[in-house]
Amino acid sequence: MPKSSFYEEEPFPSPVRQTWNEFRRNHIALLGLWCLAFFVLLSIFGPILSPYSALEQNTDAILLPPAWEPNGSTPFLFGTDSLGRDLLTRVVNGCRITFGASLILVLVAMLIGCAIGAFAGMSRGIRASVINHLLDAIMAIPTLLLAIIVVAILGTGLVNSMWAIALALVPQFVHQTRDVTRREFQKEYVTAVRLDGAGNTRIFFFSILPNMIEMLVVQATMALSIAILDITALGFLNLGAQSPSPELGAMLSDALETAYIAPWSIALPGAAIFLMVLSINLVGDGLRTALRNRLTQ
Amino acid sequence: MLVYLGRRLNLLVITLFILCAGSFALAFLFPGDPLTNLSGLANPDEQLRQQLMHKYALDQGFFASLWQYFQLIFAGDWGISMRSGSSVFEEVTRTLPASIELSVYAMVLSLFIGLPLGIFSGLSHRKALDRGILSFSLIGYSVPVFWLALLMILVFALKLGVLPMSDRVSLLYDVPLNTGFVLLDILQSDMEHREAALQNAFAHLILPTLSLTVFTCSLIVRLTRRSVINVMDSDYIKAAYAKGMSRSEVVWQHGLKNALIPIMPQLVMQFTLLMTNAMIVEVIFSWPGIGEWMIQAIYQRDFPSIRGGMLAVSVVVVSFTISMDVLLKLLYPLSKRQLHAQV
Repeated sequence: MPKSSFYEEEPFPSPVRQTWNEFRRNHIALLGLWCLAFFVLLSIFGPILSPYSALEQNTDAILLPPAWEPNGSTPFLFGTDSLGRDLLTRVVNGCRITFGASLILVLVAMLIGCAIGAFAGMSRGIRASVINHLLDAIMAIPTLLLAIIVVAILGTGLVNSMWAIALALVPQFVHQTRDVTRREFQKEYVTAVRLDGAGNTRIFFFSILPNMIEMLVVQATMALSIAILDITALGFLNLGAQSPSPELGAMLSDALETAYIAPWSIALPGAAIFLMVLSINLVGDGLRTALRNRLTQ
Repeated sequence: MLVYLGRRLNLLVITLFILCAGSFALAFLFPGDPLTNLSGLANPDEQLRQQLMHKYALDQGFFASLWQYFQLIFAGDWGISMRSGSSVFEEVTRTLPASIELSVYAMVLSLFIGLPLGIFSGLSHRKALDRGILSFSLIGYSVPVFWLALLMILVFALKLGVLPMSDRVSLLYDVPLNTGFVLLDILQSDMEHREAALQNAFAHLILPTLSLTVFTCSLIVRLTRRSVINVMDSDYIKAAYAKGMSRSEVVWQHGLKNALIPIMPQLVMQFTLLMTNAMIVEVIFSWPGIGEWMIQAIYQRDFPSIRGGMLAVSVVVVSFTISMDVLLKLLYPLSKRQLHAQV
């Protein structure tokens, strides 16, 4: 391609910009991003907009079908549950709780995982081996089992189930961070920094971390989708968020008793979980592809 | 190779040791009296208390009691379930096979569906077939397992009424408990109406297995597809084409072998995910497996059972993972070079 101007420097997009350009070419991933943005806005502003509160019971409108069914009415767009609570409000509030809790626990898991991973990546010999063995032992325990144990010790509740899931997610981050740190430490730019007199900590924060951020973001989106699935599963089993709380999984287990006469009270919260996880997975896949395309170019 | 086997065996022993010690520590971490959590006898009187103290060697210091605990675990004395009053070890051996049965069927079915789909998808990269399979796998990957199971019950069991929605086999059939695997038990037994019982057990298996398969299968499709695409892009495939081999020859002789073997360890890693999902599905379908048993235990605060269940499930998962690891190492010569590279 001929240069448009001889004298000006050719603009070269930054790595983030390049990734975004690659990401933008994938229309389905872009759709996922819009969907995700919608969910984020919904969980921030939704509860303010809704006319009902999540626990308010309308005793004259019990088990009302959604508005698009013949018996439905428009004041309750998604219908009501067996206690006359507006389902739309509960789903919106549930998105806020489920999504927010998952986001926080993934951030916590990422911080802890990165710290241990960086430490493991920089240490050698017996210390690294002990960390590896411990992590393998934790990874071998299924998430639900870990959650059952944590819940048995601390008691049920949303926060306790968040701890359990965060504990189960940490090993993934540790593995990833450790492998990247170990690989990058053998590269020449790190040697150059080391010749300048930088210590291990400085090398990690100023040279390796910037190279690792994008990979961490991709890993975090994957972890986020797993976290949402797990937190709703625990809510569903009555081990996480407890009954009146509009957490999406707890709502599903509430609706079990009336599943046959009110199938929408199972279908709609579940669909909300499904759409949320799907959009996160779309974005995660798109980011991963974009990153791969950028690195192979 | 012997060195490698030794290392893995070492890892297995150490991990089992850690898990055992962990389950011992749980007795102290759980709320309530550690003695009750270990033995399962609530509110022991003074004499019984002394006996139990002596049995678990709690009065002789930490390490002595840990050692005593190991001996009891190996002897099969895992305490008594506070719900039913029967031995935890017996209940575990009764429920664990049911869970393993469900997971194995789901795993086999997912492999049979997932591997071919992933290969087709990877071979037709960026074509309509690939897009279709990929979208389906993405959807299957995002569906919450318990929601899918509920929808299946709503549609197939309640609306259409074609499939049963709970338990392993209809109460009409009295299946003798032998191996714990229901299909094997029916085949081995000499009961009347064996064919009918077998059909009934199959019908009970369909819904739980399917709802587990959707997630695992989509995972396998995604892993396989990525690996096939990577291999088909590589230089030695181009060299094989340049030699004049046809597409099918290239795929069969060079592509598939190289694409499938590296993903095997990752597939083994998915077993823990499958176990988690199996435990959830068991609760929904009232499948009498270890997941359902442990969830019930937590509702009724039956701590000895939780301790035993945790030990049993994690031992199964760890032994499975490590033995598959060794098996793959035997089958895959390239990885022998990494013998000393990894810990």
